[in-house]
Amino acid sequence: MILSQDTYLRLFGVDTPALERLVTTALQDGGDYADLFFEDTLYRDLLLRDGVVASGGSHIDYGVGIRCLKGEKTGYAYTESTRMEDMLGAARAAATIARGAAPTGPYPTFPFPGRPNPAADRYPVVKDWRDTPAAEFLPLLERLEALIRERDSRVAKVIAMLSAQHSNILMYNSLGELKYDSRPCGTLAVSVIFSDGKAQQNKHVSRSFRCGAEMLTEALLKDLADEAVRGLDDRFASRRPKGGKMPVVMGAGASGILLHEAMGHAFEADFNRKGQSIFSDRMGQRVCAENITVVDDGTLRGNRGALNLDDEGVPGQRTVMVDHGILTSYLHDRISARYYGVRPTGNGRRESFRYNPIPRMRATYMESGSDQPFDIIASVRKGIYVDEFANGQVKIGEGDFTFYVKSGYLIENGRLTAPIGDINIIGNGPAALADIVAVGNDGKVDPGAWTCGKEQSVPVSCGIPTVLVRSLTVGGD
Amino acid sequence: MEQIPWSITEQERALAARCIGLAREAGASAVRVALNKSIMNLVLLRDGAPDKVSRSGDRSLTFNLFVDGRYGTFSVNRLEEGLLRDFLRDAVETVRMLAPDPFRRLPDAARTAKDARTGLELGLYDPAYAAVTPASRMERALGASIFQKSRPEGYSLISEELEYSDSVYDSYLVDSEGLEARHIESSFEMGCEMTVADPEGNKYSGYWWDASPRRDDLRTGRISPEALRRACAQMHPLPHPGGACTMVVENETSSRLLSPLLGALSAFSIQQGNSFLVDTLGKQVFPEGFTLADRPRTPGESGSKYFDSEGVATREAAIIDRGIVREYFVNTYMAGKLGMAPTREDAMRPCVLPFRPQGCSKGPFGLKEILAWCREGILVTGFNGGNHNSATGDFSYGVEGFAFHDGVPVHPVREMVVTGNIRTLWNHLLAAGDDPRRGAAKQVPTLAFGQVEFSA
Repeated sequence: MILSQDTYLRLFGVDTPALERLVTTALQDGGDYADLFFEDTLYRDLLLRDGVVASGGSHIDYGVGIRCLKGEKTGYAYTESTRMEDMLGAARAAATIARGAAPTGPYPTFPFPGRPNPAADRYPVVKDWRDTPAAEFLPLLERLEALIRERDSRVAKVIAMLSAQHSNILMYNSLGELKYDSRPCGTLAVSVIFSDGKAQQNKHVSRSFRCGAEMLTEALLKDLADEAVRGLDDRFASRRPKGGKMPVVMGAGASGILLHEAMGHAFEADFNRKGQSIFSDRMGQRVCAENITVVDDGTLRGNRGALNLDDEGVPGQRTVMVDHGILTSYLHDRISARYYGVRPTGNGRRESFRYNPIPRMRATYMESGSDQPFDIIASVRKGIYVDEFANGQVKIGEGDFTFYVKSGYLIENGRLTAPIGDINIIGNGPAALADIVAVGNDGKVDPGAWTCGKEQSVPVSCGIPTVLVRSLTVGGD
Repeated sequence: MEQIPWSITEQERALAARCIGLAREAGASAVRVALNKSIMNLVLLRDGAPDKVSRSGDRSLTFNLFVDGRYGTFSVNRLEEGLLRDFLRDAVETVRMLAPDPFRRLPDAARTAKDARTGLELGLYDPAYAAVTPASRMERALGASIFQKSRPEGYSLISEELEYSDSVYDSYLVDSEGLEARHIESSFEMGCEMTVADPEGNKYSGYWWDASPRRDDLRTGRISPEALRRACAQMHPLPHPGGACTMVVENETSSRLLSPLLGALSAFSIQQGNSFLVDTLGKQVFPEGFTLADRPRTPGESGSKYFDSEGVATREAAIIDRGIVREYFVNTYMAGKLGMAPTREDAMRPCVLPFRPQGCSKGPFGLKEILAWCREGILVTGFNGGNHNSATGDFSYGVEGFAFHDGVPVHPVREMVVTGNIRTLWNHLLAAGDDPRRGAAKQVPTLAFGQVEFSA
């Protein structure tokens, strides 16, 4: 959603001379680049529990972050007030990073002239969250619970959460670039406790999109309800496999967590610039099989990771990280792009005005291959198939990553057999990449509410076709 | 009282109190207002040189509104009174759209804290904070860096990231029943991550930190060397066959195993049936050696606070006493829902008390002694991902650490997973040391568990 330039300037009570004065102040100690990030965010949430929507609220977050760069060094300060004296104080604090610093550079800073184009908006809003009264959402949450309960008699408790966010952003930098954006994000999530009289199981499912309240359709509610009860018999019957190293078939969609943890973080250019990433010296080299192409994409319309502009005013774009097995690009913010002498890739992101931007993923996915998913499973004599996840993590230097599997199946002689669940899988990024030996033709991006927590929390997406990893370490009995 | 930098001013306190009136004017029957304010300055060094400086100052008002038997939570970081009036009017209107909830109410005034008047009672604010300058901050960070001085042998030093920060946090809580409570604390922290590479180019990282409410109590000299030692110690890992064995968890990381227990004791989890400790109150669920206490009133210690987010006075008690579950965490709301007496909102400063198995001699009882007593097994020095099922207690975590023989770590292990059930795991508690991590709000010492399943 992109409004007029004047709308944003009015909202934050600034004009172009004031913006210029602030960046000039931020550069007063010798910095070579400065930028401003104004934010006005409204969060709204509603919670259904024990059959009623009896809890809700709203939250306003407002302020401006001011950054000064001196080469790779960062000075950062923010203020929750847009009074000129408060903003000047923050600008002076950020400026100090350059004080007494040795000359740096030359650092190329690629310009991105022009104003945001409303016609190219990646998240147009039909029904603004801010203008829709809470009363309108209550029946939808109650309907969601009813749909879940009518699908399975073992439903004991339902917690349904609707959260919506609308952020107005204004950015200005020492290149004179003025950018602005309005970012919606709606999330509908449900946690269900099931009981069969002997045991309990829980399940959490969600949908999240950059769009307005028009996302709340009957079809979406049914989709969530279906997923909430899907595979429930197997969940109650699940057990742990015998642990150890084994082939792992990752189902299409949410298994994209493998890409996010095993590769994505290691391709973020800040880790590489500092020499910490396990992929630091592998640009241009083959890192996996020729049938693998991995993309980080900010252009997917309405996707949770979509961006018209990143948080440094760089246009959202599609970045091919691995092209047919060859490492072709890191994910850059302006600092790392200056360091490597390349154009920023639009990955400079931040949680809010309280944080300086750093390279972050958007929607990260693997493009479809040519294998049939059925054939991939059939090729495994003894291993596991996994398709539902909770969380993941990576150690950048070592490349060791993990992800937690909520559900899956044993594969025995090429067939899915006993259900499994609640196991952690661990592997090493480069080794796992090199170990992907089959790529399905069923690639898809998961629509769940994924959030990446590298220093700051930002919304992301992930996706993958069905793939076979030859060997990962699986937790088990 | 001397003005503490960036602390809540008299005018801001008065504004918080006026918000009660504004909310009531808008139609609220009861109100709680939390005013939080904090400032943090940070210096980050990379490879011994300044890489980032930052300054952050935050303030926010949070309102718990009780309107016509309904309830909502709202917050705003803009403190202009006119804006607050409009914000509260809209908030009350929103709450009126929600369903009634008869169990939402302010806590009984008799339970709220009366002894947190100035915020300084627990001695968690160090007046030396006011003397910290940007130059002294930078000097302290530079003085702790070892990157330029290190002489690597058998490895190369890839990077040192050293972060120093100091902060003041001030919180003020008032409600329409007369509650007034305040808490102020300062914090001085330093952490360092070292990345090294072995001759084959394999990279390893190690992290170490220290924190204290008092400036001069921060031990900066050991941080970078210890981070480097921990990184180097991970070089040349050897495969481990896995299987069931004794697991010793270092005090640095042992609180990870306590968190699922704390979650399972929450009345909210109990009420939802999403806890593996349902129906355990008053029962012997764990071995006699396991005692978990909450000690939130210990002066000068991180995590201590005289009141919780409802303003209820904290108190010290055993939560699990020699294996018997004595308390669930029941706040005012959940007390109504469950028909139970309220206890505490959460464990504010949980402490696992020492448990020395038979045959152990007297004296210090830390990692070294526990390894010696256990003799063989795996020492876990860090968890890498993983999770647990809150309904069943089943867990699976990635781990890193060392295989130990005859009580001595012999080689690093990695890419291992530990799997089991939280309740069963704590039932196999063999020992708990007397060495909880300094500066941590969760006081969990080195722990030893028997019959733990590892996969590799």
